[in-house]
Amino acid sequence: MIGKQLSRWTMAWFAAALAFLLAALGLAVLGGAGPGLWSSGPGLAVLHLFALGWLCQMMLGSLIQFTPVLAARPLALARLALPALLACSLGTLMLAGGFLALDGWEPGFALLAAAPLPLALAFGLALAMVGATLLAVRGWRQDAGRAVLAALLALAALWVSGAGMALALSGSDTGMVLLPEGMPLHVLLGVGGWLTLSAIGVSYQLFPMFLLAPDRGSRLRDAGFACALLALALVLAGLAALLLGGGTARLLPLAVLASVAAVALYLAEARRMWQARRRPQPELNMQWSRAALGFLGLSALLGGPALWHGGAWAEAAVFAALVGWLSTLTLAQMVKIASFLTWIQVFSPLIGRRPVPMVHELTDARAAGRWLALWVAAAAGGTAALLAGFAPGFRLAALGLLLAALGLCREVVLIRRLRHLAADRRPALLPPIILPPSPRRPDHDHPRTAGA
Amino acid sequence: MADLRDLVRDRLREVLDPETGRDLVAMGMIYAIAEEAGHVTIVMTTTTRGCPLTEMLRQGVEAAVSRLDGVCVVEVRLTWDPPWTPDRMEPA
Repeated sequence: MIGKQLSRWTMAWFAAALAFLLAALGLAVLGGAGPGLWSSGPGLAVLHLFALGWLCQMMLGSLIQFTPVLAARPLALARLALPALLACSLGTLMLAGGFLALDGWEPGFALLAAAPLPLALAFGLALAMVGATLLAVRGWRQDAGRAVLAALLALAALWVSGAGMALALSGSDTGMVLLPEGMPLHVLLGVGGWLTLSAIGVSYQLFPMFLLAPDRGSRLRDAGFACALLALALVLAGLAALLLGGGTARLLPLAVLASVAAVALYLAEARRMWQARRRPQPELNMQWSRAALGFLGLSALLGGPALWHGGAWAEAAVFAALVGWLSTLTLAQMVKIASFLTWIQVFSPLIGRRPVPMVHELTDARAAGRWLALWVAAAAGGTAALLAGFAPGFRLAALGLLLAALGLCREVVLIRRLRHLAADRRPALLPPIILPPSPRRPDHDHPRTAGA
Repeated sequence: MADLRDLVRDRLREVLDPETGRDLVAMGMIYAIAEEAGHVTIVMTTTTRGCPLTEMLRQGVEAAVSRLDGVCVVEVRLTWDPPWTPDRMEPA
């Protein structure tokens, strides 16, 4: 079987995540979110469609795909990938709908109270697949593995904090102790602990591969990870303190400080990898990952003022992290992963037997680069608009993000259909765009070429 | 007459790494080639142990070499000891 270590559901995870991305951005364009609106029902709905539906699902789908590469063994319990995806999508929809209760939509309270259940199932299944695979190879001994394992711990704590607050907002006494002090902890766990630590872990493995840079650890990396672990421990301690009736006044500034130090050290490590590369002209995904890293630095710089002043500073810091750092990185790598998976499915059986195109030929780098440039410009504009509290500017930025996302979705479809290859280089049979090829139909694994 | 091992090496220069566009020999992924009475043994690696292309590359090498005249049996062994590093690449 072709690529026995490949997850069959990666494109389905990506498609579901992209649908949530378009929904979130569409609602933002219509005014559902903007400066000062993030604690409203629609604002929280848009935020969670984006953070949970888009970024979290992309990260889970990517980890399910990437973990076998990291562990050099097939994913444990791989059959759970589809149930996890369905549960995560359902939980996201219920949570987003539930937030509308805050603006008076009565059925929303029941949704808000129930949404943590499918999300617990989704996260539990993902933890079982990814965690079991990494633990089986003692993944904590690898740089990437230990970062992903720490991120999974943050994901579990993220659920605890989120479920508690959702229950409290739905009217239950459970979780009331988390409001409002638990909010910054929840944001740090989600943006920093879960998403950023996962992204950093994956980048330890993928950046050297894509850049052809020596993959060796360094003191910088060890120091950065130590700071990240310290930040995570402080946030977990803060969460425990809140649940036990205490406060987070002393822990939170220390956690932010450790996070900023971890980011600074990681950026220095990424710069070292870039400079040590053997690939003179890195591909599109790595070119635009640099912009993402710039946003990571920006969000860390905004972290201090966000903690002290809150308000617009906090909105801008979180936006820069979610949209500028995590989404730019995700979108840039998504184009690459879609090309690579498509290439494996279509052309890998022909290696050594006949000439095959290169992976990069499946992508129109110029077109994808234009959409990524628009995304980055709009992310910068959105960050500035939030800092200035300028709602029309934010909606314009959201429109730019939506157009860029639509353009990149189109690019992924074109990649899956091999539209950037000349017709005579395309096989007669192509794998489905989203769903996995049927294991009973070997045609997808061994497609016939047009001339064969 | 050219040594069969040289012919095998030349043939492997026609098998490209789809990521970089460079052939497997230039990538430094071919660790050893041995031949005895038409029985060819190739020891190769991949850029990372968990590379999803590992099995396809192994089969591709086998297919490419088995078409050479004088080759009766091709055995392709994978190893990651020593692990591949970019230092193994031939200068561009």
